[in-house]
Amino acid sequence: MSGIDACLSEAMAIPGVRGASLVDWTSGLTLGAAGDGPDRDHETAAAEAAELARLAFENSAFTRATEDTGPVEDIVVTARGSYHLIRFVETSFDSSVFLYLWLDRAEANLAMARFRLQGLTTELVLS
Amino acid sequence: MTARGGTTLPSRSPALPAGATALGRLADERATGALHGPVGALYLADGAVVHAESPAAPDVGRRLTAGGRLSPESWEEAVSRGGPGYRAGGFLVEHGRLSRGELELCHLSALFDAAYFVLCPLEADRRPPERFLREARHWLGPVRPVPVAAVQREVRRRRELLERAWPCPAVDAAPVVPVPDATGWPGPGAAPGRGRRAVLEAADGRRTPVQIARLLGRSAFATLLDVRRLAAQGLIRTPAAPCPSPRDPDPAGPAETGTEPVAERHGTGGGAGAPELSLLFRIRDALEAL
Repeated sequence: MSGIDACLSEAMAIPGVRGASLVDWTSGLTLGAAGDGPDRDHETAAAEAAELARLAFENSAFTRATEDTGPVEDIVVTARGSYHLIRFVETSFDSSVFLYLWLDRAEANLAMARFRLQGLTTELVLS
Repeated sequence: MTARGGTTLPSRSPALPAGATALGRLADERATGALHGPVGALYLADGAVVHAESPAAPDVGRRLTAGGRLSPESWEEAVSRGGPGYRAGGFLVEHGRLSRGELELCHLSALFDAAYFVLCPLEADRRPPERFLREARHWLGPVRPVPVAAVQREVRRRRELLERAWPCPAVDAAPVVPVPDATGWPGPGAAPGRGRRAVLEAADGRRTPVQIARLLGRSAFATLLDVRRLAAQGLIRTPAAPCPSPRDPDPAGPAETGTEPVAERHGTGGGAGAPELSLLFRIRDALEAL
């Protein structure tokens, strides 16, 4: 796999996925998107997910608790009909990017989706 | 979060609409070339933005070498061997120096970062570029073209984010001066996050936000945002010059006011009403977080 588009298209192959996007959480900018966004809008969801990501990534409660094991890896939001998964992309240069998945709760397997998401974010930056 | 529309935005540079108009026209024409001036350049290919550069924003090479992702030699090799064919980026990927994903992420971050400072110059007296050099191409080569409208939308959003964080453009160009005894930030959640900690650690009282960004190989916009948040938290000094209101289109030369030492240290009063404002912003943030 290589590149943002390939990463997103593989994300769309995860069972139960409705949409996937790659987001810069400093500002909420969508770098790439596939499928649908909640409310059919990737931009709004990206900006809102970015707020959540920034809170988790920057707030002392989460960062201090994980200081010895590294920064926050992912955020899982479960709702009645859906799952929202946010996975931070770790790069060896400065960046602030996460991969965001919106899943249909009836069709998705949370553990499996999380596992696949982890693989995708690793492969995205693997040379 | 929702767009408030261009007309209501606090404007650091009244020239943004001019640059924006020129850009829109070039996008409509599906033009190829470089819109350039003293504040930097935007490179277009078929009407989409393929590259941006600004003296304020660390470029791809600086970002990749600052943290050791690439050695300076690897980067220079890509520039000297891939550059003449306008494909230094492709050279890095083909020779296994970088994955395609890394190049895209790093380049997009650099592109949006530089585009912000090209369309919204730090210096109040500078304007976005209006000269267009047709058929000019950048030696990095196209990586992931971005529609002009997306760049303009992002520039507006970033300007809003800065204003919301702390509506005082004077801190953008001034040396970042930590407040010596402000370590006891109040309450959980108010401690500076990783980015802000890095900015604080790099702040030696002389470096400006742009110089700190370059030192860290980090997005200049993200650094600016951190600086404004640190100022709002009272962890760095706000230059003594009166903060213009967010609606004030002319911040009256932040560069020159910033070089002067700030009037008085902390004490109980601080300076120029900053603590009161800072407190108000903290209260507002806390309310918004509820």
